[in-house]
Amino acid sequence: MATLRQRERRAAWAFLAPAYLIYLLFLLVPLLAALLLSVLQVDRLTLATDYVGLANFEWIYTDPRFWTTFRNTFYFISLAVIGNVGLGLILAVALDRKMPQFLLYFFRLAYFLPVLVSLAFVSFIWKFLFAYDLGVINYYLRQLGLTPVGWLNDQRVAMLSIVIIDVWKNVGFFIIIFLAALQGVPRTLTEAAQIDGASAMVTLWRIKLPYIAPVILICVTFATIGGLQVFDSIKIITNGGPGDATRSVVMYMYTEAFGAGDLGTGAASALTLLVVISAVVAVQMLVGRRIVRR
Amino acid sequence: MTTNAVQASTTSRFLSATQVIHWHNLPVMIILGIGAILMLMPFLWMFATSMRPAGEAYQLPPSFFPTRLNLNSYREVLGSSIPFLQMYFNSFVVATVTTVGVILTSAMAAFAFSRLRFPGKGFLFALMLVGLMVPPALIVIPLFFGMAAIGLLDSLWSLILPGLASPLAVFMMRQFMESQPREYEEAAFVDGASYWTIFRRISLPQMGPPVAALSIIVFTSSWDNFLLPLVFVRKFDVMTLPVGMVAMSDLAGALSLSAIMAAVTMCVLPLLVVFLVAQRFIVESITSTGLKG
Repeated sequence: MATLRQRERRAAWAFLAPAYLIYLLFLLVPLLAALLLSVLQVDRLTLATDYVGLANFEWIYTDPRFWTTFRNTFYFISLAVIGNVGLGLILAVALDRKMPQFLLYFFRLAYFLPVLVSLAFVSFIWKFLFAYDLGVINYYLRQLGLTPVGWLNDQRVAMLSIVIIDVWKNVGFFIIIFLAALQGVPRTLTEAAQIDGASAMVTLWRIKLPYIAPVILICVTFATIGGLQVFDSIKIITNGGPGDATRSVVMYMYTEAFGAGDLGTGAASALTLLVVISAVVAVQMLVGRRIVRR
Repeated sequence: MTTNAVQASTTSRFLSATQVIHWHNLPVMIILGIGAILMLMPFLWMFATSMRPAGEAYQLPPSFFPTRLNLNSYREVLGSSIPFLQMYFNSFVVATVTTVGVILTSAMAAFAFSRLRFPGKGFLFALMLVGLMVPPALIVIPLFFGMAAIGLLDSLWSLILPGLASPLAVFMMRQFMESQPREYEEAAFVDGASYWTIFRRISLPQMGPPVAALSIIVFTSSWDNFLLPLVFVRKFDVMTLPVGMVAMSDLAGALSLSAIMAAVTMCVLPLLVVFLVAQRFIVESITSTGLKG
């Protein structure tokens, strides 16, 4: 029966080959190549390479701008995580009830459509909504007798504007995850609480939220990983400005690699980002596991 | 099993609805309604502005509903020197080829991982899961280097090929196949069917749910992809829409605000269609990525 097994093995390789070759060539090899590139100096025209050791890392670690971008990115993350996960959870709790068909359809459209639409497209819309003189938002602020806000040209506000766009775009994703989790809470638990006379609020705080705590934790981690890679909206709307107020880590990497044409330092900053992502995830998992267990 | 149970309850409560109005929910409904309107505002403004004549585009107060049907700005976009239709076509080709390619290759790989025995299976599957954690920003630089080395920059292949690498798709397909009974495949094998026939005639037709979910994920993420085309493509006639839009608006003064909004409207339209056609699967596509824990 050895031939049968051989046949199965050969078939397995054949079925696996297309997906796996593409995976190796376009994901795994580039991942390893990033390591290699980070110790090279690459000529942008001839692609000739030169071994420079850790000079690329030295260059970015002594560049104060690199650390500014990290500070900006973490500022963005702290607000975006609160917005996405917090608002997502509140909206999911609100949506988790019976409602008429037309409302359901409308809510689903309104909250989920932005999830599907690229930041590259909606950024153009927001750029004009946020405009200072002729922007829609400032128009209504003026109508209400408030002072207009420099959404995109005030250094203190610009990142907040990017966060608003991010939450608008991604909150629907988190709503869906939380809804699925909330509806996965066993009926027996919530019904037992109701029989014991617990109000809806108490059931939510004491039973549902603790039950879905692991999901909340995963969402925080997920939002953090996404936030560390924030790029599209910043590139299109503010291009890192005003000043360096909205320059993110990926933006730095992009500018180094493709603006200044230095692929080596770009790879070095990308690798640093990967290390930070792994560290953040590890810390959140450790801290979170302790909290969830309690 | 639990996955199905969660999805079923999602379907029964949030996805379907009662015709009965529960009046004690009214305050919550009103707040949700206001939130929903705010969420849709940018899209309404986009559409209304695209219908305004170029000269009135900036006029305040802004409008959120078009007052008349004025397609001049759409004509302006299509008639401009920027090959908008070509970019549209590029986006469509890239997204479609990527989607079909990902589904076919990942279904095949899932068949091998789920139904066939071969040495190194556990290791190869684990190695593929590593890819789930790689941020796109990390591999774009080496990919650029590679694409430049083999002369694929400024071609649609430079956008399609990296998009085909989808460990998430293999993972989802395999999870689904594991939940399906193997008896049909075994019976077909005993009857002497080839592995390819078994895959094509028995396994693949069962894969409806993950195929639907994956089609939405892969198509929209390809249609929306920004970083890769930004880096790999410099020529107008190989650009896809997200980058094309940036290039368009950088040609300052070339297009009016209403023309830009008309262009954005046309870019968003396929996604709206995807949403309307497949909204039931959208919820499943997101919950089935396994993130719900």
